[in-house]
Amino acid sequence: MKRHLIGLAALLTIGASGAASAQTMSYAEAGALIAKSCGPSIEKYCSKLNIGSGQVQQCLQDNKANVPAQCFTDYTAVVASIQKRVAAQHGAYKICEADIRQFCKGVKPGDANILDCLLASVKVVNAACKQVIADAGWQ
Amino acid sequence: MSRTVRFAARLAGGIALAAVLAGPLASGASAQTNLSNAQILQGLTMTTADEPTITAQILKQMAQTAVANNIALPLDKSEIAKQLDQLAQITVQIQFSLNSAIIKPESYATIGSIADALHHPILWGYRFLVVGNTDTTGNRKDNLELSQRRADAVMEALVTLYKVDPARLEAVGLGQEALQTPNDPTNPVNRRVQIFNIGKE
Repeated sequence: MKRHLIGLAALLTIGASGAASAQTMSYAEAGALIAKSCGPSIEKYCSKLNIGSGQVQQCLQDNKANVPAQCFTDYTAVVASIQKRVAAQHGAYKICEADIRQFCKGVKPGDANILDCLLASVKVVNAACKQVIADAGWQ
Repeated sequence: MSRTVRFAARLAGGIALAAVLAGPLASGASAQTNLSNAQILQGLTMTTADEPTITAQILKQMAQTAVANNIALPLDKSEIAKQLDQLAQITVQIQFSLNSAIIKPESYATIGSIADALHHPILWGYRFLVVGNTDTTGNRKDNLELSQRRADAVMEALVTLYKVDPARLEAVGLGQEALQTPNDPTNPVNRRVQIFNIGKE
């Protein structure tokens, strides 16, 4: 029962502040996490490969015996999180469409005007819209 | 973050923001790697209604001509640097392995923070130059070539790891042709990567 109450309190707090917490990491956080968990291994075993080459993960795999397990866990998490963030960015308009029509009528698209409007209306927009904005990294 | 967005949107209206940013950033290497998301967004937000006329191709040609004709480096800002100064921009320090275009892990997050800005709706539809620069240590022609490979590497990371649309980016190496501190050409502060907003797609 106590746990339920705490859960409820947490929900109410979120509701009151109006913001959703992102289920994705920022691109900067993603880069920092790879550097922290895999950086030493990359410099040791994959020093000829650039992070954008698309071959670093395979190289780490090839040296699996010497690479900490945390590196694979975190690298996988980063790739999944980035995918989710990109999907949120692409899907945001559709998910927020009803809110945009209701709360942002007449707002001229462009220069993040619609996002600004949604963020200003955060207390009234629906939870799914709030969540997708958070996951997209836009709040 | 919502305040950031509105702030950036307001700034899009006027002021020569590039100049505002260039000042404090020129002062030290450490400041350049620690740009906040807000600073990056502000720096990259277009400041004029005029369409910039600078293209990657023009810049490359200017740099190549300067190197081929061995034109002396001017003590004030070079023609290339002057042209670039007009654009909305940010400057960051990216760490590379010695004499190579391999990005060191300590700079993954810095490139990620650029991606954070490029994925924000305020910058949607805009195209950017990724410009690599060296100081005057070493051979001028080699510097030009190395800076191009480094700019390519940063762009590649933005595209493949951080999923920025490649159609929005162009990589240009300017070697030592656009020094930040022409009076102190070997200062490592000149080794830098700049991102310039060159207008709508």
